[in-house]
Amino acid sequence: MANTGDSIGGVEPVAPHPVQLRQMGPGSLGIVWSDAHHSLLGVRRLRLECRCSLCVDEWTRERTLREEAVPQDVRPRKIEPVGKYAFRIDWSDGHTTGIYTFEALRRLCECPQCKKA
Amino acid sequence: MFFRTKTVAEPDVLSALSQVRDPDLNKDIVSLGFVKNLRIDGGDVRFTVELTTPACPVKEELKAQCEARVSAIPGVKSVAVEMTANVRQSSAAPGNNRISLPAVKNVIAIASGKGGVGKSTVAVNLAVSLAQSGARVGLLDADIYGPSAPLMLGTRDARPGMGDGQRLIPVEKCGLKIMSMGYLVPEDKPVIWRGPMVHGALTQFLTQVDWGPLDYLVIDMPPGTGDAQLTISQSAPLSGAVIVTTPQEASLVDARRGLEMFKSVRVPVLGVVENMSGFLCGHCHEHTAIFGHGGGERMARDFDVPFLGQIPIEAGVVTASDAGTPVVEAMPASESAKAFARIAGVIAARLSVLHAGSAGSYQPLSLEWQ
Repeated sequence: MANTGDSIGGVEPVAPHPVQLRQMGPGSLGIVWSDAHHSLLGVRRLRLECRCSLCVDEWTRERTLREEAVPQDVRPRKIEPVGKYAFRIDWSDGHTTGIYTFEALRRLCECPQCKKA
Repeated sequence: MFFRTKTVAEPDVLSALSQVRDPDLNKDIVSLGFVKNLRIDGGDVRFTVELTTPACPVKEELKAQCEARVSAIPGVKSVAVEMTANVRQSSAAPGNNRISLPAVKNVIAIASGKGGVGKSTVAVNLAVSLAQSGARVGLLDADIYGPSAPLMLGTRDARPGMGDGQRLIPVEKCGLKIMSMGYLVPEDKPVIWRGPMVHGALTQFLTQVDWGPLDYLVIDMPPGTGDAQLTISQSAPLSGAVIVTTPQEASLVDARRGLEMFKSVRVPVLGVVENMSGFLCGHCHEHTAIFGHGGGERMARDFDVPFLGQIPIEAGVVTASDAGTPVVEAMPASESAKAFARIAGVIAARLSVLHAGSAGSYQPLSLEWQ
């Protein structure tokens, strides 16, 4: 909902949210956003960018996941909503604990426009 | 000899009613589809106005306006208006495929940054106020370590029943369906659990309790921003959150953390309630700002969220609460009871406004990879 101002004043987050999730190819995820932006994401990169505590050190935030440990043909099996702010991805390599916030997905967008910026 | 009673025409009634506006949704009640069962019998006009919440703060005012507008139509002899409500489904539900409360229209989290601000008192009284307005209301006491609903609602000896499919049947009191850890463990036994157990218990409260159809499920959140808060934000389809604070700066700092948490999980903050907002003397009725004043209002302004109102400290409130009857039921004429009822109405109205604009809000998505 567009923020109508007068009676509800700022309670609705204004950051864009996904309105559609689509598989764009064997290894590409498409997201259509509420601001009409179309994102394209390579799924292996998404797997490598996982920020869960098994893939990233909780204190130092350093990545502990080794790139060679992730199969070249890793695929999501299922993408599920988490609350109203993120998705959890169930991966073909058996990894299930990664939560991707909308902000993180937007940052990872690989469309030509976002790559340039 | 050919005299006929002038029959009032439907368009005249509808155009008269389209002069009546819902101040929250900022539209007239005819365009909003609130006018139902319009019957015109000669000069007798009867109809129903179906609001989006029985807790509507301006219900009586709207009714009076409808009566006045229709009575002014030439030929109208009598007007009968029935006020009803059909609470709209929260745009957030279902938030998660595994945990959704399909028969619950709105889930409201009552939270605070730290303990001791009277959050449970606020949650219980807001829930009872909503129920008093005619809504179907549940109360989930999510404070696993320090449950207080059983004491505040005089149900310390109650135990939930077991229904079909091993689902727990909530305890009922003051028109509420209630579930609390306090019903499941003896009072003198502390709950000594790590995070995963808390997660499990809360998940069960959301999925394994037979809440039945509810207009509002009020969740009394535990203080802080830890495991329990995350579980609920991720699992329950929260429609909105209410932050409780006191006028003191120390409490405000923590309340800000709570506000930020809801922002990061994209749960709309419906507003801030300032509790313990001065002491109201039972004898001279003088109001003393013992904890300072204006803190809640300041925070609401800083965070650009609505300020919902203040609840004063009154001697009777505490005693009523400890004796197991919430103040809105024990002393409905008291200042605090009136404040609770007013705030409950504002919360219900804000939820209706959110739903009215829900076309653009987030609908949970999922995808199976081929």
